[in-house]
Amino acid sequence: MTQNKYVLPEEKERHKLLKSPINGEGLMFLFEAGLIWLTTNQAYVNSLNVFPVPDGDTGTNMVLTMQAAFKEADAKRTNNVGATAKAFAQGALMGARGNSGVILSQIWRGFSRALDHYETMDPNLLMRAMQEATNTAYKGVVKPVEGTILTVVKDMTKAAEQAVRENASLSEMLLKIVEAGDASVKSTPEFLPILKQAGVVDSGGTGLYYIFEGMIKMLNGESLDASGAILKPLAELDLAHAMETVEEGQDYEVVIDFAPRPGFQLENYYTELEKIGTSIQVGEGDGLYRMHIHTELAKRYDPIAYTETQGIVKKVMMENLQDQVEERGEAKDEIALTPVNPGEIAVVAVSPGRGLSSIFASLGVAAIVEGGQTMNPSVQELVAAFENLPTDRVIILPNNKNIILAAENAAKVSVKKIAIIPTRNTPQGFAALLRLNPEGTLEENEESMLEAIQEVHTGEITVSTRSVEIDGVHVEKGEVIALYDGKLVSSAPTIEMAIEELIGNAAMDEVERITFFFGEGLSQTQANQLADGVRKDYPEIEIEIHDGGQPHYQLIIAFE
Amino acid sequence: MTTQENPLGSIYILSQAIRTVARNAALQSYGVISLTPGNVGESVSKFFNKDADFGVIVKNEEDGVSLELNLIIEYGLRIKTVTDLVAETVKYAVEKTMAVPVKRVDVHVRGLRVSNPD
Repeated sequence: MTQNKYVLPEEKERHKLLKSPINGEGLMFLFEAGLIWLTTNQAYVNSLNVFPVPDGDTGTNMVLTMQAAFKEADAKRTNNVGATAKAFAQGALMGARGNSGVILSQIWRGFSRALDHYETMDPNLLMRAMQEATNTAYKGVVKPVEGTILTVVKDMTKAAEQAVRENASLSEMLLKIVEAGDASVKSTPEFLPILKQAGVVDSGGTGLYYIFEGMIKMLNGESLDASGAILKPLAELDLAHAMETVEEGQDYEVVIDFAPRPGFQLENYYTELEKIGTSIQVGEGDGLYRMHIHTELAKRYDPIAYTETQGIVKKVMMENLQDQVEERGEAKDEIALTPVNPGEIAVVAVSPGRGLSSIFASLGVAAIVEGGQTMNPSVQELVAAFENLPTDRVIILPNNKNIILAAENAAKVSVKKIAIIPTRNTPQGFAALLRLNPEGTLEENEESMLEAIQEVHTGEITVSTRSVEIDGVHVEKGEVIALYDGKLVSSAPTIEMAIEELIGNAAMDEVERITFFFGEGLSQTQANQLADGVRKDYPEIEIEIHDGGQPHYQLIIAFE
Repeated sequence: MTTQENPLGSIYILSQAIRTVARNAALQSYGVISLTPGNVGESVSKFFNKDADFGVIVKNEEDGVSLELNLIIEYGLRIKTVTDLVAETVKYAVEKTMAVPVKRVDVHVRGLRVSNPD
């Protein structure tokens, strides 16, 4: 089910929804409209993420949670409103993704509890459902933070209570809920200074608002697949790989679905499992429990044997984690170089780091020689890299001023026709490579690439290895230094300050895009933080972040 | 205890300080209801001092620390998502406020609190 396929319910159906108390089918129309409108606005909700909340894709998480919920309810379609809501809540629980997804699943769980055993929903019942939703959502956290989705659902509930006092119809009530949600979302920066600083509203609250707004729009017969707001994401946090570690010796992941026997004691269950393995998690839903554990090879059947004493085992899944990790490792080790057709131009690039190598490879490099600042490759290494390629025309990108000479010597000893583009750093190498036309002549390519490397400026951030004075800048050993196009422009105690000074030196009014390649000593999260600092000052500039993996330089920055 | 160097001297961060930061971050994470003693020593300190900082065990590692969290989580939530989030939140808070690299976060779900049985 995608938004392209979404068709508004027929007018007759919508009319029915407006008039009478709604049944399970009607509730499904509302849920679906909420999901579709949220999906339409997903990118906008994602963009509302404020650093430093470690949750980079609220919109996506909420959509995935809603999709799981809708799928579950769709599979169990019934006219009973209580059963529909229950299935929806069940799906939300199972599919909950991210912080906002978890809270959303809790909202639907409360919502459905109020509807339990009811055939249809009238305004009074909707109010009670909203009250339960709010209560349940707040119960999930010890120290509720206001100015979040919690505040929005609370304010929506107040509006629902007010609407009941005014004897509103269901659709009037929904409208009041949406209006209150809108006001509440707009007020979130008043509660959370961090939102105010970033000039955004709370993302989770906004997501919830879209869900209810979708319902109203559907009832009004408005289109749901055109988004009113499209914004570019502010921060793109990559935390997806944060949890991919495997404990030493815990080689198997075992997941068991089971129905607990009467008198099942969760605490005892945990205690027993702890003797078997780690990363123990037990979830429950619909009377079924799901257990997750990591164990060592010899004990991989123990959780199953033990669980069988505690209930009826329905399903067992087992995976060799070590195997997975190795596969992942192998995939990382292999860099897919571009094969060269006979007679075409091949490009050889010198790359200081693994991440940068894969970017070079993806841009069409035929061979990579490892090397950089303190590890200049030899002439032989360079020659060996291209001598066996099935072509006699080669372009070398040295990507370091100290390697240009070695490249020239390599060209002298080879019988092939070689052009050397004197790229002094990696960003220049990328810029040159983007102009590659493998079927053109060597001269054309050379000319075009030389032009390209003039257009890119490079910043480099590294730590000084000795005290020195260069280009009029005094540097203490251990200070962070910034170079702009190879010239020392600043030395500062922190990376943040170095970047600030570096950017002060760059011709920012000509810059359209900045790319960060973070290397040794800097994590993705830190790189994201640094990029966010720049975004704040230059919101109109596009910033990309890549894992360069280069040694010595914490950051290589390309200004284009 | 972890040690950092700055131009004026050394900075020592004791486990107690890391524990407090980790504890508060965990409690602000959605779905976490409380922390609970993770070993006998902590149980004893809880018995004698209700306000003791139990529930977070800090171990020193080469260039950083590893943390063990012992949690009670709200019933009815997807445990996997909650535990993933709390691990990330705690790691982030400790690294951001104390500049101490967190090498591992082990989350032990010691129980669930049932506010509303289904």
